[in-house]
Amino acid sequence: MHTLINQLLSRADQIILGKSLQVRLAVCCLFCKGHLLIEDIPGVGKTTLAHTLAILMGMNYQRIQFTSDLLPSDIIGASIFDVDNHTFKFHPGPIFNQMVLADEINRSTPKSQSALLEAMEEQQVTVEGKTYPLPTPFFVIATQNPSHQLGTFPLPESQLDRFLMRIELGYPDHQAERELLKGLSRRSLIEKLTAHMSAEQLSVIQQKVIDVHVSDALLDYLQGIIAYTRISPDYAAGLSPRAGIALLHAAKAWAYMTNRDAVLPEDVQAVLPSVAGHRLKSGSHDSHAIVAPILENVPVF
Amino acid sequence: MDVLANRTLFVFLLTAIGLIALPHSNHLPSPLVIFFFIILIWRFIGIWYQRWLPGKILLYALTFTGLALLYQQHLGWLGRDPGTSLFMTALSLKLMEVKRQRDIYLIAYLAFIVAASQFLYEQSMFMAAYIVFVCSVLLAAMVMINSRHANIKASLKKAMTILMQALPLTLIIFVFFPRVEAPRWLLFEDPNRAMTGLKDSMEPGSISDLGLSDELAFRVKFTGTIPPVASLYWRGPVFSYTDGKRWTQGRHQGSGMTPSVSEFNGDVYRYTLLMEPQDKPWVYALDMPSEFSDELFQNADYQMLTRKAPDKRSEYQLTSSLLYNTGQLQEDEWVKNTQMPGAASPKIRRLIADLQSGTLSTEQFVGNIMRHFREERFSYTLRPPLMENNPVETFLFETRTGFCSHYAAAFVYLMRAANVPARVVTGYQGGTLNEVGGFLEIRQADAHAWAEVWIKGRGWVRYDPTAAVAPERIDQTSYFQQQFGYELAQLVPRRNLQGSFEWLKTTRELWRSLDYSWQRWVINYHSANQLKFLASLGISGLNKMIYWLIAGIAVFTAVLSGYLFRQRQKPKDKALQLYARFCKKMAATGLVIRAGEGPQDYAGRIKSVSPELAGPVDRITGLFIRYRYGKKPSGKDLSLLKAAISELRIKKGYSVKGKSRSHF
Repeated sequence: MHTLINQLLSRADQIILGKSLQVRLAVCCLFCKGHLLIEDIPGVGKTTLAHTLAILMGMNYQRIQFTSDLLPSDIIGASIFDVDNHTFKFHPGPIFNQMVLADEINRSTPKSQSALLEAMEEQQVTVEGKTYPLPTPFFVIATQNPSHQLGTFPLPESQLDRFLMRIELGYPDHQAERELLKGLSRRSLIEKLTAHMSAEQLSVIQQKVIDVHVSDALLDYLQGIIAYTRISPDYAAGLSPRAGIALLHAAKAWAYMTNRDAVLPEDVQAVLPSVAGHRLKSGSHDSHAIVAPILENVPVF
Repeated sequence: MDVLANRTLFVFLLTAIGLIALPHSNHLPSPLVIFFFIILIWRFIGIWYQRWLPGKILLYALTFTGLALLYQQHLGWLGRDPGTSLFMTALSLKLMEVKRQRDIYLIAYLAFIVAASQFLYEQSMFMAAYIVFVCSVLLAAMVMINSRHANIKASLKKAMTILMQALPLTLIIFVFFPRVEAPRWLLFEDPNRAMTGLKDSMEPGSISDLGLSDELAFRVKFTGTIPPVASLYWRGPVFSYTDGKRWTQGRHQGSGMTPSVSEFNGDVYRYTLLMEPQDKPWVYALDMPSEFSDELFQNADYQMLTRKAPDKRSEYQLTSSLLYNTGQLQEDEWVKNTQMPGAASPKIRRLIADLQSGTLSTEQFVGNIMRHFREERFSYTLRPPLMENNPVETFLFETRTGFCSHYAAAFVYLMRAANVPARVVTGYQGGTLNEVGGFLEIRQADAHAWAEVWIKGRGWVRYDPTAAVAPERIDQTSYFQQQFGYELAQLVPRRNLQGSFEWLKTTRELWRSLDYSWQRWVINYHSANQLKFLASLGISGLNKMIYWLIAGIAVFTAVLSGYLFRQRQKPKDKALQLYARFCKKMAATGLVIRAGEGPQDYAGRIKSVSPELAGPVDRITGLFIRYRYGKKPSGKDLSLLKAAISELRIKKGYSVKGKSRSHF
């Protein structure tokens, strides 16, 4: 199974150049059944990343471009009168896909945002009293522009919490940029991609992630981190219990991806910026800067 | 968090300092107190408007002003008051100069000193509680500096915990630390401080308004039953000489003569007497003391005097009997107690003749005088008219109003005019029973004057002419309390009067009882009492005291630290101990593990610097990880880990740092 994962990761690295950490985090997020928020300026490859992952995982993929006039029914679908049968028939919206890319989520109104986020949380959609389950696996990658840009409705903290991770892609480094400029267009590369994994294999992996061992010693460290965020004056509010669970799940997935059956403190540290960064309120907006005091001050032993 | 930019902390600290300095406004010169508070408020404003704080030159000017003010107010530097003022001024000026965190500590320590200096002025329980409170606020400010925490409530709670933890140690030190009595000149006592109490002379005619003070004179705790209030006469100075206006003690004073009491009868009352500080060595024993402790002695007038310094609170054990016979009167005593300022006027002689007619005994004569007072419209008042000339005659025939001194003086004058030995006795009468503490409180308002007449076969017999006029003055608890109650009745609606007054009374008694215990056990615990108390525990001598002090502190510290260590030390797992050994070994190479560093990261760091260690380091790290974080930690891994760490050898003088430097 691990060779499969490694193949998948190296294939993705060929498409998204020089961002292997972010790719790994995104895959990690997927393995622990979390949703991903990518925050960056337009054009750094957010959509490409989402699209690549969807194809490699063998999931059907749909992109929803969020705009300020997007309605909830544009996301979850609507009942339309069927002339032949004289009944209303539910036409599922783009959310009924295994992987949904919600592009520029903070450009739409809070109403549409919450339609998506509710579906994410419940794993199902209710229209006119009827409940439609969403496909499994179900994975949402949302992208957002930095909130200081014009025409944005920033996601409130409560909704940010629905995303297991938030990552930033950032500019490619010199080497990667050069390759990007020299190589073929990403679009054509994606078209040539084939699935490396099936939905069944993914659910096996997700199960195995759950089985990764967590020792008491590690929980001590994890709780140390949580306690630190709650008492430290660096943060306006500490990590919630849900955030703690998210951190543990992500660390498990990370440990699994590095082919280990037990979580190490390093696993927690690796996922900490992307899991905790958007949940902690601090002066900085950079996830790594936000969690730096934690990594520095919370003793591992 | 930048401590210096933390507004909450500053607000808190300045408030604490304001609270600490507040009681000093009672006893320090007001210009200095005003100076202090102006600077404090200035600093307060400076929290928000930094640029309004004084610059260097202005600060020098302020310092100079403060010191000049200090010198001008106290005319010197030495002593209690200037010293306290100096600390206050220094504290306020230091507030203006906070540049580093160190300065805040300095301010806090200065504030603690200022807080402690309150006890140089007042040692009441209330003040102690107040100081403890402000100290905990100050402590909370220090907690805030150190905990990187701006939460006031949490800091206060922590400060309280710290104070509570310090309590046992405080008790040990309080009990065992040798009390050193400072020489008097070191006490810097204000010589002008007036202490109220009875005077050594009496001049009833010159007083037109007897101020009643609620101030405590002394307290008495009886071991058995308490005698009836009407017989509670606390004997003070006895006046036998008069010039017609003024009554003073006789010339033959002091211990020249040992007094004799031929017999005591009736019930014996044992009691403990706690005198408040006063400026005379008088101890007010219940008439008539039969036994008393060594530091006391009796003068010829049966008044108790103390050999101790009277300006300190002190405690005495006494025994008294209400019935006694003083026996024969010496010749010189007879002369002394029939002394007259001159011949009595015809008017008085006529009155005496009137009162004496048909009487066979002195007792009957006294009874007639009493009846005269009672029936001839004499009245009792605390605001008598002035009787400058010939006060006795004016009182007896014209004004006919007065308080105890008037009656006692007039009565004795009449007796002496009839050639019966008589004298005025002053002291206190009655007292208020504190039902909570079971002791009597005798206040300045209970001051009284009565008369003694020598009767053949009975010795000196007490007669209280005031009782004839105003029996309630004697029989009831305290006349002052009646007045107090009367005033209250006019203020409070009648309906609620009884209930609320009872409530008030109980509260007051409870408080006074607490205060009694405080004075007795805490304030009065000076060197003599400490030695006595410790001797009763079998600890005698200064040496033993110090041993006990050291032992007490050592035991307490050991117990506390043992408890804390046990709390801190989690059941450390063995792998962690072994790993710590590994880290220590590696630290010798210059690579120290960081607080937030995982074992793998640490191993990676070591390997990147010294690749030749990769083998053992990887092995140790792997075993450690497997044991500590793995699914099934096995004892085998642990012993392997132990062996691997023991085998690990770092060459002496080997330094990774030095080695890595050689790469460049």
